[in-house]
Amino acid sequence: MFDFAYHSLVFPGFVSAFIFGFLYLGVMRKVAARMQHRVGPPLWQPFLDFFKLLSKENISPRNATGFLMTLCPVISFASVLTVMVFVPVGSGAVSFEGNVFVVIYFLVMSTAFLAIAGFATGNPFGFIGSIREITQMVSYEFPFIVSLVTIGFLTNFEIIPVSAFAFPFALFAFLMGVLGKLSLPPFHVPEAEQEIVAGPYTEYSGPRLAMFELARAASFWTLISLGSVFFLGARTLAEFGVYSIILLFVLTIFRVVFARLRISNVFRLYWFVIGPLAVIDLVRVMVGFY
Amino acid sequence: MHDYLFPLGPQHPALVEPVHIKLRVEGETIVGSELVLGYNHKGIEKSFESRWWAKGVFLSQRVCGICGFYHTSCYCQGIERLMGLEIPERANYIRVAVGEIERIHSHMLALGVVAWEMGLDTLFHYIFRDRELAMDLQELLTGNRVHFAMNVIGGVRRDIDLGQIRKMEENLEKLEERIRHYLRLFKTDTSVKNRIRHVGYLSKRKAKILLPVGPNVRASGIDYDVRETGYFAYRDLKFRPVTGEGGDVLERCVVRWKECLQSVRLIQDSLLSLPEGGIAVKVPPVIKIKEGLETVSRVEAPRGELIYYMKSAGDRPYRVKIRTPTYQTFHILDEILRGYEIPDVPVIIASIDPCFSCADRMTVVDTETGRERIVTKEEVRRMREEG
Repeated sequence: MFDFAYHSLVFPGFVSAFIFGFLYLGVMRKVAARMQHRVGPPLWQPFLDFFKLLSKENISPRNATGFLMTLCPVISFASVLTVMVFVPVGSGAVSFEGNVFVVIYFLVMSTAFLAIAGFATGNPFGFIGSIREITQMVSYEFPFIVSLVTIGFLTNFEIIPVSAFAFPFALFAFLMGVLGKLSLPPFHVPEAEQEIVAGPYTEYSGPRLAMFELARAASFWTLISLGSVFFLGARTLAEFGVYSIILLFVLTIFRVVFARLRISNVFRLYWFVIGPLAVIDLVRVMVGFY
Repeated sequence: MHDYLFPLGPQHPALVEPVHIKLRVEGETIVGSELVLGYNHKGIEKSFESRWWAKGVFLSQRVCGICGFYHTSCYCQGIERLMGLEIPERANYIRVAVGEIERIHSHMLALGVVAWEMGLDTLFHYIFRDRELAMDLQELLTGNRVHFAMNVIGGVRRDIDLGQIRKMEENLEKLEERIRHYLRLFKTDTSVKNRIRHVGYLSKRKAKILLPVGPNVRASGIDYDVRETGYFAYRDLKFRPVTGEGGDVLERCVVRWKECLQSVRLIQDSLLSLPEGGIAVKVPPVIKIKEGLETVSRVEAPRGELIYYMKSAGDRPYRVKIRTPTYQTFHILDEILRGYEIPDVPVIIASIDPCFSCADRMTVVDTETGRERIVTKEEVRRMREEG
């Protein structure tokens, strides 16, 4: 019981998601800045942003649904954090056959509530952002789920440390799915600054925005942890650390080198390029050819 | 899906300046647009009329922060024409050199913004880093990074010496290499091309009807460039305009990069053939020009043809009318936006390199009837008297 509490609340649960999630964001911003010949903000900048936002005021526009605006970031954060319960880093993870599907479900829920939040703000930018968020979700979920299921076949659909290097396409599809889920370039379509200001976040301010920032940091932490355990096979804490940093750097490179895609291109790319590639590995694992 | 209104501006991250563009949108496709100006009116034309001729130079510089040198060039050229003044050859060459550096930095700014609008921050930061080379040259020649105050009536304020020329050639070489790199990048990079090719298309036929100016019209295949008339030293430098064929955003960017390369060549040539002699003719501090004399002065600013109309009222202008290039380019906005999608809008707007603050005009909207009308000078005067 103590193990479970420690796992879900301290490491790799709530406290770690807060600390490492924001630290990841900070590292990514700093590294990206250096790649772009800038100085960049200090590593702890996301923490400062978070605490600053907490001290600000919540503003509800007249035609917004205030209740939903408060609820969405909380559920979004909670559902993404729940995923960490199933990821075996250290001891105390909840482990049972088929928990891969639970993880998929909770990850979708986090994004879905972000989309609902955009609709709840009653802002045209939030509206378009939410439509895009959902369109993008429909796009990337296909290769993302296929890649998780592919590796799931090896472990009876249970999340345990397993290395997926025999399935490069599945690994690739997972990475692309993570990029899409985190709305990182080239898939930063739902919150495209130059087009729709901040998408679903446009009307958010104060503690509610801080909650969304926290959810975003937590999903960084969760998805990277999931990747390093379930796809790269991290068994010890040292391996876990190294693989996480490698994944973070790969994501940063994607963030730096690509321009934003159009939403129609995003859909086509996921369904007709990355999806079929992922299916190749799914077929391979189903017929036992590896 | 029914159409709805997508408000772009007056405050929007995609816009550098306050302007309001009402987009009618179906899903993500644009079916119509309307430009609403008037957020940035500075009343500069009116202020000219209460200043002596010589003080107007400083005022005209403040029309635009990016191409201020061209505004002073145009203004000074007009006054020199009114006075019948022949300025020294050396001053002509220095005006060309400084102007072309300003063109490079203006084009690189515009292209950096295009890169940023397509969501590629890295390219934006790289272009702006290399733009510093041009900014350094401006500081070297004029002492300022922006607002050079280089032009005076009758010539220029500072001379170029040999040490400066050597430093300039060094920087220009570096700059040329970087510009070639970016030109290749825009033409070949898939990620970039995907966003800007076949977007914001302006056909040659439409371009002839709507007549934008500058790189926007040249990218559609019309070789219209005021520098061809050979003012300042352009005749001696054998200038030929750069034109493109495509007419889309990519082509407008490519034309700008090629113009940067051409500017590098023009600067090098003008430095090589810099004639000896003075840099300015002496003019009296209070210039008197016969009342009623008028002239039209034209130069090719980075964004296109810039026109100053001036009429004298003795020691000060009776009227100065400025037609900035962006004012002429507005008209194509609806044409190049219609039919494209919301993700293309920022890129298309950035690709015409708008400078709204230069071109803003005042309209008064009657709030009761919703009718708009242009205010005449007499009405403004009456309003001012009434308070």
